Amino acid sequence: MTVALAVPDVIVARAQAGDEAALETLYRAFETPVYHLIRRILRRPEDAEDVLQETFLEVVRSIKQYRGEGYLWGWIRKIATTKALMRIRRDSVRETETMDDEHGKPGMHVGANIDLERAFERLSETSRAVVWLHDVEGFTHEEIAEQMGKTVSFSKSQLARAHARLRRMLDQGAHT
Amino acid sequence: MHCTMEDLGALRAGEASVWARRHITTCAHCQAELERLYQRVAQLKALPALHPPRDRWPVVKAALRAERTRRRRTWGTWTGSLALAATIAAVLLMQPAATNTVYAELSQAKQQSATLEDSLKQVDTDGRVLSGHAAAAVADLEDRISVLDGTLAQRAESDQDAELVKLWQERVGLMRELVSVHVTRARYVGL
Repeated sequence: MTVALAVPDVIVARAQAGDEAALETLYRAFETPVYHLIRRILRRPEDAEDVLQETFLEVVRSIKQYRGEGYLWGWIRKIATTKALMRIRRDSVRETETMDDEHGKPGMHVGANIDLERAFERLSETSRAVVWLHDVEGFTHEEIAEQMGKTVSFSKSQLARAHARLRRMLDQGAHT
Repeated sequence: MHCTMEDLGALRAGEASVWARRHITTCAHCQAELERLYQRVAQLKALPALHPPRDRWPVVKAALRAERTRRRRTWGTWTGSLALAATIAAVLLMQPAATNTVYAELSQAKQQSATLEDSLKQVDTDGRVLSGHAAAAVADLEDRISVLDGTLAQRAESDQDAELVKLWQERVGLMRELVSVHVTRARYVGL
């Protein structure tokens, strides 16, 4: 999904002055790209909805701090990413359980006709975050490492492992 | 020996080892793997947009309004103290600026605003049940005052700023309306 949103400066200025209609305009303009980003990272739709809400609460509280440096989407996206990664860290126990499921459950083999979207959904949330941020959103490994509180090596190895897993799942799907 | 996924990722990023860069030029298998990697990334980018199942704006808006109301009350107390201090200073010190019309109007507007804030507190706004119409009017007035307070907070204080006087006078007008709505409601309930 390519986001090519240009919000007029006057709307941003009005939002910064606290104009509720302008703030709603920003919400309407960015709700789908923000949700899309968060939902691709987080496994559960209800978590993605919560993080969407948390993101825009932060946006309306902090919009005065946006100085117009870079695209507004980049600023909002960073808030959304931070919130989503915080959610993953908070739910790290569930994350571990999910990864164990992927490896261990007897019935959890990849069926025929699997497509990339379904294969991607089967990755752990951490893997999804790294793949999505690097390959789709264009984050560098340094940026991902900083946002996740991990090392650059961690980001690179997560990306490689995730692609190897995707490759295997798609290959198995094509041959069953 | 073929390229690992790390090697393919490094090739994609232009950071591959000398060995991987040479190997990829001669190995058809690894060339195909690299191509598949590029295709996977392109397919991920092309996945359809996911839309939020429910509108979350009403929740965000409600939280925003609640925060503004809290801030406005805090700001009202603060501006009341400021206005009182300004008035006392004007009377006691008899500075030349006190004779200035703009300064006098500014002090007066701040004092009126503080008085109205005090009146509002005495009405016990939180403890009363408002009709839908009154609640909407109160919400609208509180929003407009919040926006105005935001503007005032960002504006540099100056005795000679006629625009600042207008903003404070506008705040006084809105505060009067707000007090009026609450007082009218209080009388109605009292009957």
